Amino acid sequence: MDFPALRNDPTARQARAQVQSRWQTATAPAKHVDPILIAASVMLALCGLLAIYSAKYAPLTSQGLPTDLYVTRQGMAMVIGLVAMTVAAAWDYRSLRTWSSLLYVGSVLLLVLVLFVGDVNKGAQSWISLGGFQFQPSELAKIGYIIGVAAWLHDREVDGFGAVLGVLGLLLPPLALIVLQPDPGTGTILLFVAFVIMLVVGVRARYLLVLALLGVIGLVGVVQLELLEDHQVQRLTSFANPEGEACAQGACYNTDQSLIAIGSGQFAGKGLFQGTQTNLSYVPENHTDFIFTVIGEEFGFVGAVTILGLFAVVLWRCLHIAAVARDRFGMVIAAGVAGLLAFQLFVNVGMTVGIMPVIGIPLPFVSYGGTSLIATFAMIGLVLNVHMRRFRSK
Amino acid sequence: MAASLDDAPQNPLRLTLLASVVLLFVLALLSRLWFLQILAGARFDELSQSQAVRLVTTEAPRGQILAAGGEPLVSNRAAPTVVVDRQVLLDGNGEPRSEGAERVLEDLAQLLGITVEDIFDRLSSVRYSPYSPVPVLEDVPSEVRFYIQEHREFFPGIDVIDLPVRTYPQENLAAHLLGYTNEISPEQLDDPDFVGYRQGEKVGRGGLEQSYEFDLQGIEGTNRLAVSARGTVLEVLSTIPPTPGDDLVTNIDLELQAAVEENLENGILASRSIVRRDGRNLESVAGSAVVLDPRNGAVLAMASWPTFDPSAFADGLTPEEFAAIFDTAVADEVPAINRAIQGAYPPGSVYKTVSGAAALEAGLITPGSTVPCPSSWQLGSITFNNWNQRSEGSMDLATALKRSCDTFFYELAYQQYVREESALDAGQQDVTELFAETAHGFGFGRELGIDLPAEQDGVIPSRDWKEDYWERTRANNCSLADQAAQTAAENPTPSAQYALQLYTELCQDGYRFRGGDAVNASIGQGDVLTTPLQVAASYAAVANGGTLFQPRVGDRIVAPDGTLVREIEPVALGQLPVSEAGLVEIQQGLKDVVMGDGGTARSAFSTFPLDEIPVAGKTGTAELGSQIPYAWFAAYAPADDPRYVVVVSVERGGGGSQTAAPIAARILQAAFGLDVDPFAAGDEILD
Repeated sequence: MDFPALRNDPTARQARAQVQSRWQTATAPAKHVDPILIAASVMLALCGLLAIYSAKYAPLTSQGLPTDLYVTRQGMAMVIGLVAMTVAAAWDYRSLRTWSSLLYVGSVLLLVLVLFVGDVNKGAQSWISLGGFQFQPSELAKIGYIIGVAAWLHDREVDGFGAVLGVLGLLLPPLALIVLQPDPGTGTILLFVAFVIMLVVGVRARYLLVLALLGVIGLVGVVQLELLEDHQVQRLTSFANPEGEACAQGACYNTDQSLIAIGSGQFAGKGLFQGTQTNLSYVPENHTDFIFTVIGEEFGFVGAVTILGLFAVVLWRCLHIAAVARDRFGMVIAAGVAGLLAFQLFVNVGMTVGIMPVIGIPLPFVSYGGTSLIATFAMIGLVLNVHMRRFRSK
Repeated sequence: MAASLDDAPQNPLRLTLLASVVLLFVLALLSRLWFLQILAGARFDELSQSQAVRLVTTEAPRGQILAAGGEPLVSNRAAPTVVVDRQVLLDGNGEPRSEGAERVLEDLAQLLGITVEDIFDRLSSVRYSPYSPVPVLEDVPSEVRFYIQEHREFFPGIDVIDLPVRTYPQENLAAHLLGYTNEISPEQLDDPDFVGYRQGEKVGRGGLEQSYEFDLQGIEGTNRLAVSARGTVLEVLSTIPPTPGDDLVTNIDLELQAAVEENLENGILASRSIVRRDGRNLESVAGSAVVLDPRNGAVLAMASWPTFDPSAFADGLTPEEFAAIFDTAVADEVPAINRAIQGAYPPGSVYKTVSGAAALEAGLITPGSTVPCPSSWQLGSITFNNWNQRSEGSMDLATALKRSCDTFFYELAYQQYVREESALDAGQQDVTELFAETAHGFGFGRELGIDLPAEQDGVIPSRDWKEDYWERTRANNCSLADQAAQTAAENPTPSAQYALQLYTELCQDGYRFRGGDAVNASIGQGDVLTTPLQVAASYAAVANGGTLFQPRVGDRIVAPDGTLVREIEPVALGQLPVSEAGLVEIQQGLKDVVMGDGGTARSAFSTFPLDEIPVAGKTGTAELGSQIPYAWFAAYAPADDPRYVVVVSVERGGGGSQTAAPIAARILQAAFGLDVDPFAAGDEILD
């Protein structure tokens, strides 16, 4: 064979260029967005808009206010969220490693700031007002922490105990500040995310077991040592004992009403705006933490399973992306986001169906709340980014 | 390091593990939703049509207040009460939910004979928890109850239930001791003592209801109900029955209390027919009586007149009723006041036991030593007269008490005053003001801490008190002095001159505790103010050999089934500051007042079997400005083994022997089971 000839052969050259170009085109990041993940996320957010509209329809009508008040705000947040997702996906996530410490420290500083200039809402100081807008730094802290830990772990040896110390050491500042607000819900989420990250990077099983054990002991200790107020304990434990005294004193009013709302939706639901529990405001906070009751009541089992299914798709895509990520940085981000979304889904929906205690954790994509929605979309953007740049060559 | 970049970054096992956890989460939620919406959906649907799980609290019966013999003074009865469920009939803004709901409320108003506005007034009250029905009318006739219960379809959300209401089986008896109940105040809700109390809950106010609130209050019960839209209960989800409050057993002797109240009233009314030497009738506008057990301070009876009907409070007072009981503008003598503990009066001569003890302690006299009792006593330009303006020669303390000689005590008080002044002038620190100190030891000038609210502490004048008082009244006196100066300059009448002199002095050196202050205080006049209860407690201490007990109405707390919860133990506040020999001398004097020749109370006890039941006592006739004097009598009996201390005080009742002693004598007759004399027109004033 005359290879040089072949090399000079225009046909061959053309063919080679074609292969190269095809390969480059094939690996171009823009070609590898994950349409399934995007679609599922957007559909969840749209379901959220519908549920918020329905939840607020009757109260706003009776107050003589425009019925789309909340939906408009949430819709604006969704648009900003989609922009945030695009931005988060556009630049190569690997460059984020350089900026990771800045992001982490920045998010922690915002948490410090909120303690001084924050607005108090329902007993917690967790909001910062910025020219007519309010946002919750604790939502940003979730992203800050995941990126910070992922970057720190990226080229570290994870066999020893050092990795555990690092993951927990980075957890401590945001966790402490969030607990100070106090926002135990977000604090719990961060703890779970930290555990998930240690799991997926391969921290030794025995460390994980010890940590899990310590977590259980800590939880029991908090309850036993009466570090919490009685009503907090009642709220946390009443779900396990619906016939108990705490319930009789009203500690599980929310749960009772929530169960009735969801259960009464039955198979097909009562239809949009037809939920009596929803319309009569029996379920408090049913546009935020208890949004799932609106879906359960008005769209029934079908609607609830649809939401669960959409979440399952999102989680499946995130886990898949974690599995195909080109580096540990990307893998940790994708797995961390998956763990975070799964935990929030489980605790939030679990709370409304009475298998988890009532703690203030929003349902990602769906609950009313701009910061949460934008932050969630930004995280999806990061995961997309990991997916788009999964190829090792180039 | 580089290895991790080249190797696949994933740990497939761990990612699989995470995926399994996620799957588990989703499956757990899915199966729970399957259960809730598919398997149990129908039941929840029914509940949602009922639209609520409702918390209904059942009021706990409040503990009873019992007399010593177990007879109820305050009890409960079930009052049939119409209640309206706001959740069924009203929307979130408190407006009727529909035209139907509006019609139901109109029908109800018509049935009850009240207006729809009346109902809305009650419904809009924040007193009630949003999930418990609101009482709109108490004590409805049984026809109304049956009508509503028979026609439930016309009255959704409306029911007639029995609510406990305070009832007073002995009617007006001991009204001042009992107090009443009403809704907890916002201040109390913030008070840590009232933690666990709920808005709208009833708490004790005034009297024993307030003092023993935490014993009498029960714990309300809670029912968690699933209720249909029509107000019928579908299912009781859980029930905690109410825990009734404990009962208070008092020391009040029911029969004695009744006798005390009857004789106080009759004695006061009878005394009004007595004409004074100046031609005026005694006014006897109000009075009080206390009976203590001197052996332990137990309050056996306590009465204040005029009195009121406590049951008026149970159903809520009308404005007219309220004014008649509380308002000084409407009722001159404000029946709400418990004068036995809230009336602070000059005690007059009943206070001489204190001055006698002080003189003994000062060493100015000894038991048996004598001091002159002239017809008058001079201090500078001021003349202090003996009460009868007669000279009675020299006498010992016992005789001075028997004869109630004023000048005897003037002399002794002044001697002590001079002693203290010279000690102070000599720059001596911590000079004991013995007369005031002794009074404190006898329980005066301080709250005794009886188990009734709003006890007064009275006044015992001393140098510090005087200076303090001057500071407080100075601005006023000085401005009065300026006014008087102006008046005197324009129109120099003698009275204007006098006012100028008086207020100028009060303004400039009213801080000085003068000899006249000490002299006046020694016979319970001047600035001295005491409550009848303080007098009673001090006489109880004299009677029992010197132990000052805290008077207390409550004896023990018992559970509704009668078992003892706790005893309310007697509290000894201290020993009287007087030697045993001195106390015997005082006791002798008090016996002579009633039983000795020339004793000031002898005639009031002329029909009393003093041979069998010896009585000791002291009269008092206290001047207060130009008013008719305040009558006092303090007694204990049997004098050799005291079981009862009786103190009677009548505002503007004239002489102690005239008005108060006859009442006390009849109270003692009742206490010892003797026939009680009817009241006749009184004697002449014997202090």
